[in-house]
Amino acid sequence: MFNCKKVTQLVSESFDRKLSFYQRLGMRIHLMMCKFCSRYQEQLLFLRKTARLFSESSEAPDLSIQLSSEVGKRIKESMVRFLEKHE
Amino acid sequence: MNKQQSTSNDPNETPENWVDLYGDYLYRYALYRVYEATVAEDLVQETFLAALGSFKNFQYRSSIKTWLTGILKHKIIDHFRKKAKEQQIDHITPDINNLDDLFTKNGHWKIKPANWNADPQKLYDQKEFIDILHRCLAELPGRQASAFILREIVGENTKEICKILGISATNSWVLLHRARMYLRQCLEINWFTNSDDRE
Repeated sequence: MFNCKKVTQLVSESFDRKLSFYQRLGMRIHLMMCKFCSRYQEQLLFLRKTARLFSESSEAPDLSIQLSSEVGKRIKESMVRFLEKHE
Repeated sequence: MNKQQSTSNDPNETPENWVDLYGDYLYRYALYRVYEATVAEDLVQETFLAALGSFKNFQYRSSIKTWLTGILKHKIIDHFRKKAKEQQIDHITPDINNLDDLFTKNGHWKIKPANWNADPQKLYDQKEFIDILHRCLAELPGRQASAFILREIVGENTKEICKILGISATNSWVLLHRARMYLRQCLEINWFTNSDDRE
């Protein structure tokens, strides 16, 4: 029988690769009986779904984060220098 | 919001206006993946310069915004690649999340996970939650953070992550497992048991 430490490792790996038949079976049996490891699995799913929101939505949630005008100016200047060099 | 919806036919969309039109958007995109303001600023600058260099080949098959985002994404992956090389030389990363500390000798949970019962979409709209999530991510040791962000936010598979970070498959699974374990713990302590009694 797998213990919680082993099962949490398998739960995480199941997010990244296909487990062997024996690993899947052992993990599922443990999860049926263990509320806490089931919660762990749900929490990893939560992390994945939240991360997907970051990668899929076209905007970050906090629009107040902006380039400072100073950095914006610096970038514009570097672009002007780039064009002068390449034209 | 007009500037986000501008199409490639917009006469204002010349390279001179890129920074004003897309600078903030690209900066947020970078910041939510590298978590260091100065690094994000540099990546945005590199993106605009690379875009200038290849603008003459731009075919307008996608919007300028999508095209710039694609360039930035490559820059971000390059950043993780370079960082991984530096970390190989300097491998004295403090071990803040030793898995052995979380379980008893028999492999049972020392502190039992709580029932979060949370809706990602609802929390995503809450600034306080996003701030805590970012603080937790920022605390992860370098390679764990790189592996997690590449896997879950950039969306690479572990094979690609191994190439980018120069590590074995087994190593990548261990890093991801530890990162996830730390993040769930960090969120549980700082949000799910603090905001109200969700247990």
